[in-house]
Amino acid sequence: MFSAIYIEEEVLESDRAQRLLDRFPHLPHVVCDRYGEVFNRKSQDFRLQKKSPALILAKKYGNKVLPAPDGYGYNESRSYYFSHMLNCVYDCRYCFLQGMYSSANYVLFVNYEDFETALDEKIRLNNGGGVYYSGYDCDSLALEPVSHFCKQFVPLFLKYPDAELEIRTKSTQIRCLLEQEPVSNCVIAMSFTPADIAARLEHKVPSIEKRIEALYKLQQSGWKVAIRFEPLLKSDAGVAAYEELFTQLFSKLDAQKLHSVSSGLFRMPIDFYKRIAKLYPDDELYAQATQIEKGMISLKNDEESSQLAAMERLLFKHISVQQYYRCA
Amino acid sequence: MTPTMHSDHSQLRPMPVNIVVAHALEAKALIPMLQLKALQTDSGYSEYANANGLRLIVSDIGKEAVSRAVSSLAHAQSNDAGQISAWLNIGIAGHASAAIGSAWLAHKITDQRSGRSAYPPQLIEGLASCSIITVDEPEQDYALEAVYDMEAAAFYEAASKQATAELVQLFKIVSDNLINPVEEIDLKSVPLWIARQDSQILLLVDKLAELAASYNSRQYVPRVYYDICSLTHLTVNEKLQLRRLCQRYRALGREDELADINLLAKNHTKKLLSILSSAIDQPPALK
Repeated sequence: MFSAIYIEEEVLESDRAQRLLDRFPHLPHVVCDRYGEVFNRKSQDFRLQKKSPALILAKKYGNKVLPAPDGYGYNESRSYYFSHMLNCVYDCRYCFLQGMYSSANYVLFVNYEDFETALDEKIRLNNGGGVYYSGYDCDSLALEPVSHFCKQFVPLFLKYPDAELEIRTKSTQIRCLLEQEPVSNCVIAMSFTPADIAARLEHKVPSIEKRIEALYKLQQSGWKVAIRFEPLLKSDAGVAAYEELFTQLFSKLDAQKLHSVSSGLFRMPIDFYKRIAKLYPDDELYAQATQIEKGMISLKNDEESSQLAAMERLLFKHISVQQYYRCA
Repeated sequence: MTPTMHSDHSQLRPMPVNIVVAHALEAKALIPMLQLKALQTDSGYSEYANANGLRLIVSDIGKEAVSRAVSSLAHAQSNDAGQISAWLNIGIAGHASAAIGSAWLAHKITDQRSGRSAYPPQLIEGLASCSIITVDEPEQDYALEAVYDMEAAAFYEAASKQATAELVQLFKIVSDNLINPVEEIDLKSVPLWIARQDSQILLLVDKLAELAASYNSRQYVPRVYYDICSLTHLTVNEKLQLRRLCQRYRALGREDELADINLLAKNHTKKLLSILSSAIDQPPALK
């Protein structure tokens, strides 16, 4: 699972770090002062590291709950994100994390209690409300058997019925959720792309069928689930690929009970894009024509609006307009 | 029989790996193991190479010596194609309690003088690993649970300037410990200790070669790029643009469209980049 475990000296004796070290006794355990000595150094190669990432156990300092980027959320409430982990176990070619970090190692911040305190404070500042996203810098569920993230953070939101936690994921590691009572203000949002795009660009990700099955089980157990079609990418089959995906999804899931459905275009900061294009000069996705708008780069597609409208028309055969939003 | 490159590996598979040892005795066991032959160079170093392109250089002892040797070999190998080699330091070292002849891959390197540490990424499985402390004088106390050597920190720093950190590794074989102190090292045993680690060394070389080849393969640029560069004068910036355009054509499966641009390059150099750039943003012509 990991090539090595690096541990900040400061968290070495913590129960959470010790439990993890005990779980992987045969891996090299390497003590460092700060995770920045190992993670995201110059002269590191994300693509090579992705072949065999290490786990870094660290303590998060500074702001732990940050304002979500504009257009990230689904309503007018103030929204925030928090990242107990940096980097993702999956290897999606379109993911901005490849451009954000030069290292593919996973950083797990083990001072969960400090995150809880920060969340408590932020929720109180928002009079008990706000939307809180997990899964911006990582996939929150994918490493659940190791991190026990859900076990720790989901119950926190029981105290704040007007606040909402959204866990974004492509993982089918849902046992921890199925083992507890549903929390009505916690949403599990699963991302999908059509089959041909998933096969080409989403490496190490559970199949569409398995992800739908996971959502189905969660929905059946009373959990709120949501669907994210992000990023929208041109399929060889055109919108028909999305039609097929919608049929797969909505023949299994109860569309009326979905918390929300959203779509988002492929775009990222220019610097991230350039770094990824250097990492993958041989990848078709990063060889396509692009356009730049407000510091963000996206794929040039003159038919984008009409394709998006066509996709939405298909989608609205299954869900209501009120359930849907476009990510900016 | 001692395994060698010949018995375990495809002879002509490129092995872009540079091995740096401090002492000729350390090279002695590696020469037959890796089928190396002496090279005649004007670098002032003893250098060896094999048919797969693997290189070995004897740096001499100490931090400055190893830095200079890395720079020398890197300079000799510099190229325009973005191809790099992996770097591997193999050498003897001390440890308080580890058995003589035991071998360790470095997972942390600390320069005792500066106190700075570096962490070679651990992409190669199957080898025991440990921390290395680089000292300026031979160590006799081995105070910490680490291997003590005289080159690692400088080697890592110098080699990391030439290759991405994943491709820089260090492999140390214990030659002295508290029971067998450093001043009593039996030098004749050094080649033997190293030879006994042949399977680990071959694994390490093989994996490093694989990683370096994987890195280099993504730098591939269609031949036409080099043809154009030889035909016409392009600035550094123009070369970078042309290189990326050629890579994009290839990634989009449209490399054949580059076939005619040699001709264009001869007569319309200035237009070349803008023509290529606008053409790639159009759908490919139907055939």
